Amino acid sequence: MDDDHLEEPLGAAARDYHAPPPTPREAMWQAIEARRRAERPGTPAAPRWIPWAAAATVLLAAGAALGRLSAPGTPAGHARAPAAADADPGRPRVNQTAYRIATIEHLDRSEAFLTMVRASLRSGDRERLAPAAARQLLATNRLLLDSPAARDSRMRLLLQDLELVLAEIAQLPADATASQRELMGEGIERGAVLPRLRTVVPAGTSSTRGDL
Amino acid sequence: MDDRELIGRVLAGDPGAERALYDAHVDRVFRLVYRMTDDLHRAQDYTQEAFIRGFRRLADFRGDSALSTWLCAIAVSVTLNGLRSLRRAREREIGLDEAPGLGVQRLDADPDLKSRLASAVDGLPEGYRTVFVMHDVEGYTHEEIAASLGVQPGTSKAQLSRARARLRVALADFARD
Repeated sequence: MDDDHLEEPLGAAARDYHAPPPTPREAMWQAIEARRRAERPGTPAAPRWIPWAAAATVLLAAGAALGRLSAPGTPAGHARAPAAADADPGRPRVNQTAYRIATIEHLDRSEAFLTMVRASLRSGDRERLAPAAARQLLATNRLLLDSPAARDSRMRLLLQDLELVLAEIAQLPADATASQRELMGEGIERGAVLPRLRTVVPAGTSSTRGDL
Repeated sequence: MDDRELIGRVLAGDPGAERALYDAHVDRVFRLVYRMTDDLHRAQDYTQEAFIRGFRRLADFRGDSALSTWLCAIAVSVTLNGLRSLRRAREREIGLDEAPGLGVQRLDADPDLKSRLASAVDGLPEGYRTVFVMHDVEGYTHEEIAASLGVQPGTSKAQLSRARARLRVALADFARD
């Protein structure tokens, strides 16, 4: 018996191990194409009837506006993109506090949302609103990633990991199979996003808990 | 059209290129995933998920390995994660009284070589089984396996050797025949 191959008849039997049927090429492609179509730009935006998620976007916009307006010597009508303004050392710095508040609020809502989704997955409940809520949070997350809030490398990594998790939830079809839901659960656990969110969001500072 | 050109078209947003890329690689991915799951629906789900993740991450593909190997790496990751979740869910559902039976292969019950080998392979540790299926069943090279699993080729060879040794022990009566 050498180590270079599995001798016959075991080798022949091995080649029949869980012999696959013909590839269900079209059926799989239809499912892939449907999800890819939903991901492409131009897909209708999520309905804005989830007030607490929409509120995060509004809060972020308000935070950004506050940051620009409060920058000393910067006329409101000539406010530049915050990231660009902040990168220029010759210009007044935007108010970091506004971004920090908006970021903490967003992370707090995201932590509450992921906790809720994870609980639904574990109990086997179908959370029909989750993809739409995730899209709202994803929009806010992307705004934050493009803002001075993401200048801190640790915060940027957290927002990037959070984006992946939210994107997976946002793309969950209404008729998701058990394995798709299992994979989404894996996605939430991956990268320890929830514990990291809880570390960043100071306990007891949230003003959003009552919304859920 | 080669993979590089296909990737460029997919990244440019050409849905037809996505289909062409899928057609070029789906058989190999599906075969591997099916061998690992032995379940048509799960194999379909995991294959679909692997391609969707592959399309999403295509911009990150650096060409360090062949596109087929890169896709297989994603498929193996999706499949192993899915199977682990399934195993955990089943373990939660099965009562403690039944727990001692988990993982015990009743090799004496079935005289058929193929069935006995399948049971023995199913009973291998996850790493051994994955390498065995990829190499001895699907014909991947150790370099491809290493790239797919994120290990060294030597690790793949060592795991395959151990997997074969376990199978020889489990199927010793057939090997002697």
